[in-house]
Amino acid sequence: MEKETTNTQNKFERKHKVRIISGIGILLSIIGLADTTYLTIAHYTTKVILACPSTGIINCQKVTSSTYSEIHGIPAAVLGLIFFSVMLIYQLPMMWSTTNKFIRNTRVLYSIAGLVSVFWFVYVELHKLDAICLYCTGVHILTFFLFVTTIIGTSIITAEKE
Amino acid sequence: MAKKSSNRNLKYSLLAIGAVILVFLILIIVRSPTTQNLNASDSLAPSSLINSITKLTNSFIQSIGTGTSTAKPIPITGPNISINGKPNILYMGAEYCPYCATERWPMVVALTRFGSFSNLKITHSSTTDVYPDTQTFSFYKSTYTSPYIVFTPVEMYSNIAQGSGYSTLQTPTSQQQSLMNTYDAPPYVPSANAGAIPFMYFNGKYLLTGASYSPTSLQNKTAAQIASALTNKNDPITQGVLGSANILTAVICSVTNNQPSTVCTPTIKGIESTMSN
Repeated sequence: MEKETTNTQNKFERKHKVRIISGIGILLSIIGLADTTYLTIAHYTTKVILACPSTGIINCQKVTSSTYSEIHGIPAAVLGLIFFSVMLIYQLPMMWSTTNKFIRNTRVLYSIAGLVSVFWFVYVELHKLDAICLYCTGVHILTFFLFVTTIIGTSIITAEKE
Repeated sequence: MAKKSSNRNLKYSLLAIGAVILVFLILIIVRSPTTQNLNASDSLAPSSLINSITKLTNSFIQSIGTGTSTAKPIPITGPNISINGKPNILYMGAEYCPYCATERWPMVVALTRFGSFSNLKITHSSTTDVYPDTQTFSFYKSTYTSPYIVFTPVEMYSNIAQGSGYSTLQTPTSQQQSLMNTYDAPPYVPSANAGAIPFMYFNGKYLLTGASYSPTSLQNKTAAQIASALTNKNDPITQGVLGSANILTAVICSVTNNQPSTVCTPTIKGIESTMSN
């Protein structure tokens, strides 16, 4: 009887944790989607202004119109949009409560891949272009926190199952 | 058992997060502006380069019409900044700026129709910005003399990286800064373009911001190659540079009351009539 009560309590606690982890992940993914949607729209619709903004290192145009803003012809903003769309699915409660190891591992690998690309873009902004785009920085921060959420969430959920 | 495992996993996670933060810090700390473009290359423009521009005849330049220029001078009613009774044309730009680099070519062509330059320099735009290393003139420490107009260039920054920007060359006077603050802003220019350079103020009658044609045609060309291309009517450089020079000439003619008549010809007046004021 006591064991049953403990099991029910554990299940309840686990559900609660999944809900919190998933909630944070979904929120970050949705903000990321909004940011990259804006950057994608801006990439395709912004009329190129043939002038130099005199705003120092904060220079979105310089970043988003540079040769580094596309990878094999695909705008980085579109890649970001795809990244956050897939991440949103990975962060759903049913994906966190599953016992499928493949999903758990690929979610971690996926968040690491996102982080590696962020390292590259930060390097390009600071060392190659000497300019920072605030919307891109927003994407970088969100990707970092998605990585944090994913690995802490995974370590908590995995330990519960063991 | 589960608690032990959870603690261990959490410890590894925190270590991973710490490592990631460390990588970010390294990326930010090792950023050194001194690794950027440090080669100031301002030197006097060779006379052969100047000659290849001044030898272009009025009839040849005018035969290009507006070419591929996209310049749209904005009519304004601003303060008259004449000096000694001569209309004053204010230019504000910077050596690092690729669009200023692009615009200086038609500016030199148009201005040499009204007067002459001395100590004109050659330089290039930033090697790390868009349209990198665009070859061009620099107005810094140049002198312009004309019986019709005064030309006041302000090259605010060099192409030498310093901190998060470029080293300062010239600081605008309070009047110049005030004109830029007022007229390089909405409603005269779109808000996205506010404060943008190059900015040209034509004695309170017109203003122009940005490049008048695409910098693409100048890419990977030396200054000599750009100048020599100007004799070929069909070259995209000629269409951009001389087309823009004709529009600039028309704007200047509008502030000189169409003087001299040898420059402000019916063709130029035709372009002038398309600019409403």
